[in-house]
Formats: sequence, C-alpha cells, structure tokens
Amino acid sequence: MSQSATLQRVQAVDFYGRVEEEVREHPNGTALLFLYCAGNPSGTEAELAEVQSFVNQLTGVNGEVLHDANTGVSAVTLPGYTLDAAHYQALLLKQHLQGRFEQADPRITLAALTEAPPRQTLKQMSETARLSTSSDIHIFTQEEADSGQNRILIVDQDATVREFLQIRLAMQGYETLEAVDGLEALELIPKWEPDLVLTELNLHGIDGLPFIHHIQQLDVKEPPKIVVLTEKRVEQTISQCFQNGVDDYVTKPFSPVELDARIRRCLH
Amino acid sequence: MVAIYYVMIVSALYFVILMFSFRNIKDIFRRATYSKYNTLSGSELVPSVSLLVPAYNEELTIAENVRCLMTLNYPTYEVIVINDGSSDETLKVLIEEYGLTLLPNPEIRGNISTNKVRGIYYNPQYPQLYLIDKENGGKADSLNAGINLSRYPLISSIDADSLLEKDALIRMARMYMENPEETVAIGGDVRIANGCVIENGEVKDVSLPRRMWPMFQSIEYLKAFLGGRIGWSHFNGLIIVSGAFGLFRKDYVIAVGGYRGGYPGEDMNIIIKLHRYMLENKIKYRVSFCPEAVCWTQAPDSYNILSNQRKRWGRGNLKNMIENRDMVFNPKYKVMGLLTMPYNVIFEALNPYFRITGLLALLGYVLLDMTNWHVLVVFGLVNFLSGYLLSVGALILEEIAFRRYTKLSDLVKMLLFSALKFVGYHQLGVLWRVQGHIQYLQNNNSWGTMTRQSWKDKNEAA
Repeated sequence: MSQSATLQRVQAVDFYGRVEEEVREHPNGTALLFLYCAGNPSGTEAELAEVQSFVNQLTGVNGEVLHDANTGVSAVTLPGYTLDAAHYQALLLKQHLQGRFEQADPRITLAALTEAPPRQTLKQMSETARLSTSSDIHIFTQEEADSGQNRILIVDQDATVREFLQIRLAMQGYETLEAVDGLEALELIPKWEPDLVLTELNLHGIDGLPFIHHIQQLDVKEPPKIVVLTEKRVEQTISQCFQNGVDDYVTKPFSPVELDARIRRCLH
Repeated sequence: MVAIYYVMIVSALYFVILMFSFRNIKDIFRRATYSKYNTLSGSELVPSVSLLVPAYNEELTIAENVRCLMTLNYPTYEVIVINDGSSDETLKVLIEEYGLTLLPNPEIRGNISTNKVRGIYYNPQYPQLYLIDKENGGKADSLNAGINLSRYPLISSIDADSLLEKDALIRMARMYMENPEETVAIGGDVRIANGCVIENGEVKDVSLPRRMWPMFQSIEYLKAFLGGRIGWSHFNGLIIVSGAFGLFRKDYVIAVGGYRGGYPGEDMNIIIKLHRYMLENKIKYRVSFCPEAVCWTQAPDSYNILSNQRKRWGRGNLKNMIENRDMVFNPKYKVMGLLTMPYNVIFEALNPYFRITGLLALLGYVLLDMTNWHVLVVFGLVNFLSGYLLSVGALILEEIAFRRYTKLSDLVKMLLFSALKFVGYHQLGVLWRVQGHIQYLQNNNSWGTMTRQSWKDKNEAA
C-alpha cells in the first residue's frame, strides 16, 4: 500500500467515508484512533509525517493514516490490534509526538472495532478527540456511542450536586451544561437546545412549576424532556408536576444508578 | 435620686436579659448550622402554612415581595396577598404579573368579620397564590380577611415591604415541630435591608445602610432582636412578635377573635391576647423567637417617616398597656403579669417621663450647685458604657451565631454607630415616644404615611 500517497488523497475524498472503508477492509477487527494535536506550531504536515513514520515502524501492521483538513483531526487504523495493545501503542504515539514537538498536546480517542460503525459514531469519536479537555487517552465505548451525545442541562442551586451530576453524566457520555437558577436556564435552553433538562424544584428567581411551564412555552424545535430531581417529596407536588408534563420525578437523596436508568429511558 | 436608681435597674435588667441571650446562642448556632433544612423543606411531615401579606399602597414593592415568597424552600404553603383597598396600582400590578382572574365562587372558610371583600383572584398556573381585594380597613382587618380564606393550620404574617430568606420559613417550622402542642407563636429576626443588593426577590449581597437613619435602626434592631428577644423568649416572656414576620397557630388566633382592628400595634396586641387566653384557660403554651429565620425589611430613611413610625409605635404600645392594665403585677398571669407587663409599662411606656424628670432634677441640682461634678461625670460615663456594652453584646451575638455582615468595615461602622446612638438618636427616641403619647391623648388614630421605595431604587439610593 502506498502510504505516502495517502496524504494527498484525503483532501479530496470524504474523510469519514475513507475511515469507514478502511475499517471495513479488516473484517477481523481493527483498532481505530482519532488524534487531535492542539497547539502544534510545526504545522500539520510535520505532525502527519511523524504519525506516519510511527505507524510504519510497527512491524507487520498495515496501518493507515487519514487526515481531515476541515477539523484538523487525524484517524489512524491499527488492524489486528486488540484494545489493550492499541492503547499501549497510543501511549507510545503520544509520547513520540510530545518528544518531537515540544508544545504538542495530543488528544486521542480510541476504540476497537469489528465492523464499521455508523458515520454518526465516527463523527462523534472525532469530536470527542477534538473537544477533549484531558490529555488522557479516551476509550470510546459502545455505551457512549449509543448515547449519541445527548445534551443534558443541569439546573440546581447547590454547587456540589451540580458538580456530582456533571461528572457522572459526562462519564456516561452526555454533554452537560449547568445553570444555577431557573432564569439562567430559561436563557440557555433556546441557545443550547438540550435534549433533557434535569432540574431541582427549589430554585431562585422562579419557582419550579412555573419554570417547567415556561420551558414548555419556549419556542424551540424539539422541546426538551424534563426530569425533576428534587428534595420535595410532597405527593401533591409530584402529581402537579406530572400534570404539567414532566417526564420523570426523582427525589433526593437519590440513587445515581436509578437516575441513570431513568434518564436513559427518557431519551430512548 | 429616683432617676439614678431607675437607670441602674434598667441596665441591670438589660444585662440579665442579654445574659440569657448569650446562654442560648450556642444552641441557636448549632441548630442553625447543623439542621438539614434542605431535607426538611421537602418533607410531607412539615405542617403547611398560609402566608398572609397585607398590602396597602405597595405598588412599588409588592411584585418583588411576592416573587420572593413564591420561591421559598418549603413543602406546602400558600401565599395570600390582601389588597386593603389601595388607592394605587397594587392590585393591577399583581393581576398583570401573574395573570390572575377573578374566582367565580371562592370558598371562604373562616368567619371573622371584616370589611367587604370585593373579590378573590387566582391563576391555576400558580396554584399557591391567592389575591384578596377588599375595602380599606387597616392591617388587622386585612389579616383577618386572609385568615378567613386560608386553608392551612398555621398562618404567617409578612409585611409587603419585607423579603424572607429562602430558608426562613422552614427554619421557623422546624422550631414549631419541636413542640407543636405548646407553641402558639414564633417570631422571626427582622433586619434592615437598606444598603443590601436585591435581585429577583432575594437579598444577594448583605451590607450596611449608607444613610444615617437606617444605620441607627440597624443597630437598634440587632440589639432588640438578638440581645433582647432571645433572652425574653427563654422564660416565655415575649410580648411582641414582629408584624413583619411571625408564625401563628391559626386555631388560637381565631380563638382570641383574630387581630384587633382600628389601632396600630396589632402585632403586640395579638401576642398579649394569646398570653391572656392561654393563661386564663390554663393551657401550657410557648411564644418562641427564632433568630435564625431572617426577614429583611425596608427601614424608613428620612426623619419624617421615621418619627411617624415611632410615634405610631409609642401610641400602639400605650394603648395596649392601658387596655391590658389588669395584667400588670397580677400573679395570675405568671411571668407575663409579674415581669413582662410591668417591665413594658415602667421601662418602655413610662421611660420618657423618668428620663425627663431625671434630667430636670439634674438641672435643678446643678443650678442649686448641689452637685459634685465628679459624681456627675462618673455617672454619665457608667451610663454610657453600660449602654454601649449592651450594643456590643448584641454585636458579639451576631458574630458568634449568624455573621450576616462579612466585611470588616461593616463591623467597625456598627461599633462606631453604637456609640453615636447615645448622642441625639436616643434622645429623639424619647421625644417621639412622648409625641406618640400626646397623639394618643388627642385621639389621633391615623397610621401615618409610610412611603415606599421600589427595591431597585433602594439599591441605588441607599
């Protein structure tokens, strides 16, 4: 395979199509990693050349390097590699790049595949690499692919609760955003268009029920699902919430596992 | 000579009360810090409360006030705003803000007689909010109309120019739940909001007023509430629960015939009536004070309004004392009859006269050259120091338990104004009280003007 030709070809060809094709060529399974090198002053050419030379020195591997000029993300296939072996190679690659370029800050998302995933998932993987905030290698799981990066808006006045939910939901692969009170949330919803709003009822500025009512009045394409997570355990309040079209109601103290399950059920 | 003894007794009494406040402050601090109000505020076991908000010409503050009350941390409650025949837009402001409509067939449960109710407004979108529109009849009359409509066993009266902290009501309810059988009324801590930053019906940033009159009142309130009422509540001798924020058991308020109309001082009156009723029927009871439940109120910031308010208080106080004179030194009324009422008559109502006679006597002595100026100076200093110590004591209580004022400059300012209070402000207080008594004798029965400022202007002005 003429590996040097790859560099010229990608420009013209659909990036994700090429990745998909590449994965399909190896029915016995391949590892796929997406690489995004932020803050690299030496330019993509030099970076790609390094990646290429790294892949080339792996013995007995017909690895491919593809580059998406639009986003700056590169895709590398490592056919025949299991997840752990590929993870090791990814670490080496990261180290290699950091060794070559002083200011390089590579972000890598990694998955082991046996069949070509839908294009949406590939896009999602590439996005994860590009938007990753941690330099750790991110292992992309099936669950994450299923979640399809649903957006969840967390509304709670308690910073501790918000942080906990944010970390937990981010680990589940959701995209999250936080709002301290109802008024802030009402501003955010039309701009960010979350799939689900996870809200407390005890809010500053505007009370829970009117807040829920306002969400439903908002002019958005797809009104978000609403899950209430609150201290309030009064049955009358619960029934009023459901009458107002809330999708689920969880009381604090809550079980995170149960909350996950309920959120997943609301979204699928 | 009498004046000297008088002053000494007053000071001693104040110190005893302050001592009791100090004794209780540790408990208060602990329960305020460690109680799980969040969990409590969602519990079904917390009794439901009807909040009564009498409003007379409050178009500027009412919207912010109701917005604040609608977002309290409390499981089940309703907000009943009573428009007391306002001549301004109070009614319209609320109807527009909340899209209220006239209820065709309102269910009124109570039967305390009030002025004619014109209508009750409601919007199912805000199920906890009711608005009563009635003909003008005074604050007490409005409260009675609110009691008639209320659905819940507890009622809480809140002034339309005040803002509650989000946890204030649940903190009070917690105290009520400790002893629901005996507790008939609980008072909250009232603080001066002038100078604070207010946003979306809540106090965002606490700081002291920048003007002089509210500043003096800030110190005065702190001293009265923390230094005084905590101590008085220790032996169940509270004579007043502030009209700005108090919680009552509805059944007993109805049993004593509701609020008395036609005269200011209805907040003190209802408490005296409750004491009298419970003692005469030999029911065990408590009137408590809950300093951790905080209500922020707008203080008058000009001389005229302040003096009007104080004259009204003097008038109301005198009226209540004269009406209930049989309780004074009557052992049948226990602490109330032997301590609280005599204290209020001698050291509150008659305070100005003792001071004036004392001053006249002093003048006489000086003119007749019968005084030793050493003694005079020492006496004056002791007097000042003991008074100052009381204020500082209240400040220390505040710093131990609450720490609402976080800036060091605020603390220094409070210490300074505690001292300045003795030059002029105290003397004015005496004057206003005498004027109030004169008004009483003249049968002047007006409420006086109380102009409001919108909370927003307040931020800029204060």
